Amino acid sequence: MHIPDGFLDPYMSAATYAAFLGYLVYALRRVGNLLDPPKASLVTVLAAGIFAAQMLNWPIPGGTSLHFVGGGLAGILLGPYLGFLAMFMVLLVQTLVFHDGGITALGANMLNMGVVAVLAGYHAYRYLKPRTGEFAAALVGGWLSITLAGLATGLEIGVSPTLGYHLDVTVPVMTVWHAALGIVEGVATALIVARVKALLPEVVAG
Amino acid sequence: MTGFLGRHRRALIITVLLVLVSPVFGVVLAEMVGYHEPLDVAAEKLGLPDKTSELNWTPFLDYTVPGLPETLGYIVAGLLGIAVILGLGALLHRLAARRGREG
Repeated sequence: MHIPDGFLDPYMSAATYAAFLGYLVYALRRVGNLLDPPKASLVTVLAAGIFAAQMLNWPIPGGTSLHFVGGGLAGILLGPYLGFLAMFMVLLVQTLVFHDGGITALGANMLNMGVVAVLAGYHAYRYLKPRTGEFAAALVGGWLSITLAGLATGLEIGVSPTLGYHLDVTVPVMTVWHAALGIVEGVATALIVARVKALLPEVVAG
Repeated sequence: MTGFLGRHRRALIITVLLVLVSPVFGVVLAEMVGYHEPLDVAAEKLGLPDKTSELNWTPFLDYTVPGLPETLGYIVAGLLGIAVILGLGALLHRLAARRGREG
């Protein structure tokens, strides 16, 4: 899911950086009203947990693999802005300390996993919770978050003014694979949300 | 550094445990089965060049630590990443506390 250096056209790199920085400014303004010391602690511990969970790659026989992304979980537990802040911390450390995700792709990776995944998880959970119950809502939220993040990644690497347009290749590969592998993300998200809600019922934002 | 996380001690312990078992999934199984994300599949089809090595700036590339075997390095890198996140969180907590006093 982390786009490395070299995969993005320079125009796409610049556009995604601009969109990410615009959202960062907007989100930080909104976070200012929400962030108290207990919330700061929660953002931090969730960011640390997501960072650790992303290190567990699950190889699937046949050569494909996945890892937990956590954007949907962050949105469900913290809401769209604090959830974004948690993912921002994770992705910043992954990129700057471990070069997991390219510096030229940081804007795109932030958009995919920090904005699209977080918003998808948050809104799906809020919409579905009264209709399907909490567990199913969190499961769909987690699944949708990684599927839409995959779609966004496919759009970004498939649109290249200098190299040509290959959306017919990138969008199906990224969306279909993540929709299939995302079931694991959905189940993990639902289990974690249920556990957190049992221990800290005031936490779940949705 | 972790005083501001006192209420979440259990979550932190689980986080560290995840890092301790992470080489099983991130290194051992990945080498046995082959690690290939959907993004790698799409990039191969288009011939997109991964320039990570050319542009690299960190000694901890891909969760390795110079001089350590891959599995142990993966654990140390994970603990390092968590320490940096907790450091950022401590700054965030201090900022929130200051805003609370001023507000």
